[in-house]
Amino acid sequence: MTQPLGHFTFDGQQVPLRPGQSLAAALTEAGLRQFRATAKGAARGMFCGMGVCQDCLVTVDGVPNRRACMTAATAGQEVQTQVPFPDLGSASVPQASAPARVIAPDVLIVGGGAGGLSAAIAAREAGASVIILDERKVGGGQYFKQSAVGAPLDAQQSDGAGLLARALAAGAELIGEVEIWGAFDGLLFLAEHKGAALIARPKAAIIATGAYERPEIRPGWTLPGVMTTGAAQTLWRSYRTLPGRRVAIVGSGPLNLQVGRELAQGGAEVVLIAERGPAPWLRPLASAALAFADPGLVLTGLRTLADLRKRGVPIRHGTRLERIDAAEQGLRVTVEGAGGKTAVTADAVLMNAGFDPQNEILRLLGARSTYDRAFGHLRVTRDETCATSVPRLYAVGDCAGLGGAPAAMAEGRIAGRAAAAALGFGDGYDLFADHRRLARYRRFQKHLWALHDVAPRLPDVPDDTLICRCEEIDAGQIRQGLAETPGHAGTLKRATRVGMGRCQGRYCGPVAARLVAAATGAAMDERSYFAPRVPIKPVAISAILAAEEALNDAR
Amino acid sequence: MRADVLVIGAGITGMMAALHLADAGAEVRLVDAGENAGTWANAGSLHVQMQSRFMRLYPDQVPAVEASLPLYKAAAEEWVRLDALYGPFELVRKGGLMLAEGADQLRFLEGKARREAAQGLSVEILDRAALDRFAPWLGPQIVGAELCRDEGKLNPLIANARLMAELARRGVQIMRDRVVRLEHRGDGVMATGRNAAYRADQVIVASAWGAGEVVQDLGVAIPTKAEPLHMNITEAAAVSIGHLIQHAERSITLKQLGQGQIVIGGGWPARDRGRDMPPEVLAASLLGNVALAARLVPQIGGLRVIRTWAGMNTTADGASTIGRLPEASRVVMALPGDAGYTLGPLVARLAAGVALGTVPDGEVAGFAPARFAA
Repeated sequence: MTQPLGHFTFDGQQVPLRPGQSLAAALTEAGLRQFRATAKGAARGMFCGMGVCQDCLVTVDGVPNRRACMTAATAGQEVQTQVPFPDLGSASVPQASAPARVIAPDVLIVGGGAGGLSAAIAAREAGASVIILDERKVGGGQYFKQSAVGAPLDAQQSDGAGLLARALAAGAELIGEVEIWGAFDGLLFLAEHKGAALIARPKAAIIATGAYERPEIRPGWTLPGVMTTGAAQTLWRSYRTLPGRRVAIVGSGPLNLQVGRELAQGGAEVVLIAERGPAPWLRPLASAALAFADPGLVLTGLRTLADLRKRGVPIRHGTRLERIDAAEQGLRVTVEGAGGKTAVTADAVLMNAGFDPQNEILRLLGARSTYDRAFGHLRVTRDETCATSVPRLYAVGDCAGLGGAPAAMAEGRIAGRAAAAALGFGDGYDLFADHRRLARYRRFQKHLWALHDVAPRLPDVPDDTLICRCEEIDAGQIRQGLAETPGHAGTLKRATRVGMGRCQGRYCGPVAARLVAAATGAAMDERSYFAPRVPIKPVAISAILAAEEALNDAR
Repeated sequence: MRADVLVIGAGITGMMAALHLADAGAEVRLVDAGENAGTWANAGSLHVQMQSRFMRLYPDQVPAVEASLPLYKAAAEEWVRLDALYGPFELVRKGGLMLAEGADQLRFLEGKARREAAQGLSVEILDRAALDRFAPWLGPQIVGAELCRDEGKLNPLIANARLMAELARRGVQIMRDRVVRLEHRGDGVMATGRNAAYRADQVIVASAWGAGEVVQDLGVAIPTKAEPLHMNITEAAAVSIGHLIQHAERSITLKQLGQGQIVIGGGWPARDRGRDMPPEVLAASLLGNVALAARLVPQIGGLRVIRTWAGMNTTADGASTIGRLPEASRVVMALPGDAGYTLGPLVARLAAGVALGTVPDGEVAGFAPARFAA
């Protein structure tokens, strides 16, 4: 493990940092979990760990509302708890560190994860010019989670590093730390890159933005120390930081087991893994179907379970999170299973109850989709080359509907070749092998999730449980809003402010859509959700100004 | 279905008309198509002074707007009254500042201020030193401004929700339907909707850009037109901008809501996508509108825009249309001129009064629909 390389201050307190760490990682390592206060005076900390939830905001060197999970820690920084209403005059306007950049590659790839990198290699090898934009400093995406602080941890990170190296060797350019905030007809993308404007006008675009985690919306889910399982995995895999000494994991799905094992190996005490789904040995047929679909992947899963058992990690199937309370010695986690309620105390509570696709760019550009009832999210309509309903726009991987990393890579190879061929590069290629693999991966995913319990539910929570983290709208307010103005999620939004905050409804939006559908009896479809809008992510006014000046200069 | 009065359109004008009618004891029904009503996308400016955007885009309509200025002032006062009755709506009436970036613009504002003062508005020209006393955050290029004390701002989400609740308390339900045709008879009006037909003694048409089509068979050609407009909102900051900010030459409104968010709008175009879809936000409008705001108030540069949206403004000939149709006297029009959200409650009270017989036709003669006789 790398040694501390200097300090920054948090509200005056010295915090050590290791090179490459994010602010959120360094603060967590120092045992500091409360990063900001809300308008109603509640404490918040890191939740999603991937730039989506906007709950880990801090003030950095006088600039308010910076995401601690996406901001690198550097020696000498002055970091402060984020107040809900910063003074207008206190924030010096961030100055662009570089002039605006306008790019026009043959193929633009949004997202440098498993699918995006595979697409880049395929398109580049066919002869098209390729630029990959990624939000993180280090590419690789959420599945391969590259280390920001040292050598690869295991085969999964090595495979990711290999894929990244192949993409770069093929001649694809990867630009990191890019926040895409606008996507418009004719394929115009507006982004912010280290404070400067980045404008992309590609001939074709492949969207590979992946998914984000579906939380367990239960009392206490907004407390500092409660985070998504992926956030904890990023802390460990990218920054070698444990989310806490004692860790409890709740929800459903294979990621919870994998991360439980990784953290236990890393030295954390995993006090509980609560899985909503029944034990696999109670469902022998479903388990056998999974094993038949992909014996190799099943073997990996079995090794994970065996290792967890060897380490004495309690895994309780058929058990759901009841509530989380702040206690003197940490967070009190109450779960309920067949044997009744039990409680454990932990420093960090990790939750993952499935995934929702990051399909904002696709929806904004008008790509059609249908509702997948099994997964409870939208699936983008694509042809056999992963082309969407919008000309020259492709979608690969989880952003088009959950499919897993192996499928994302196969789809990336297919879409990369197809996008290049459509622009006159390459010769069409025989897609048979990739399609056969893809079919197998999809079969595996179907059987895998059948063993877990990620069907979205209507929130069965007390009235005072928050549904909308950002605007602090609770279940009671939403129930009242539903009683007064059913109709559409947009109507409910205007009536209650649900989804009006910084995360733009990424967590509460799907809940609102399902509640309205249940109240009106309407079937879920692509129109059930909040209307897609720019900005895709909050964007500084100074960055919009820089983009406007760059486009005017280009004219 | 039979009603004393059928109100078509449940935006701010229709809601308020229904509320007045219900309070007067009328049996009232409210029907709304649920299609891109401006009220639900409004950003809450209370406009009184003549907007430079409007003067530039629709020069032929300026005389009508100028003649309506006392109506705008009274409309802002109507909102103050509603805020006291049914609020609070976070209504603040510190006034509106129209900024000048050079001597020419300041001269234009001086001329405009004289015309507005003649119509009874409380206006004043301020130089930079005077502005610095309460708005030091303005960009250095601002040389002066016209202050119109009658202007203000409110939070439309709160106002709409409160007024909806008032309607519900009075037992007025909003029926979801699009009325496509009105038939005027001796004993009442027959309204044909997509879902149902409605009979009423009288009808109040408060359907904004859709109104012209509804009454086209009744001897008038009212050129109501939907104008899709774009808006932006930031994350919250400590409240320090009290005034409604506009510009002498360019399209912009900027204001800070009571909860700290800054709303930037002012009439940048969006793209109409038909009745089933909200209008589409355009890149050029987002960039141009926000960049202009950043130049006028540089201190907002560090704040992030978290949402944009678009909604329908309605234009006709610049003036409001209030009163009975000349050839169909059971049909009463309630169409605000430009800045429909500001005017809506007052127009609604007048139109409801006409229907109830408490406002003599002569009082709204200046806004009579007869000017659109086909």
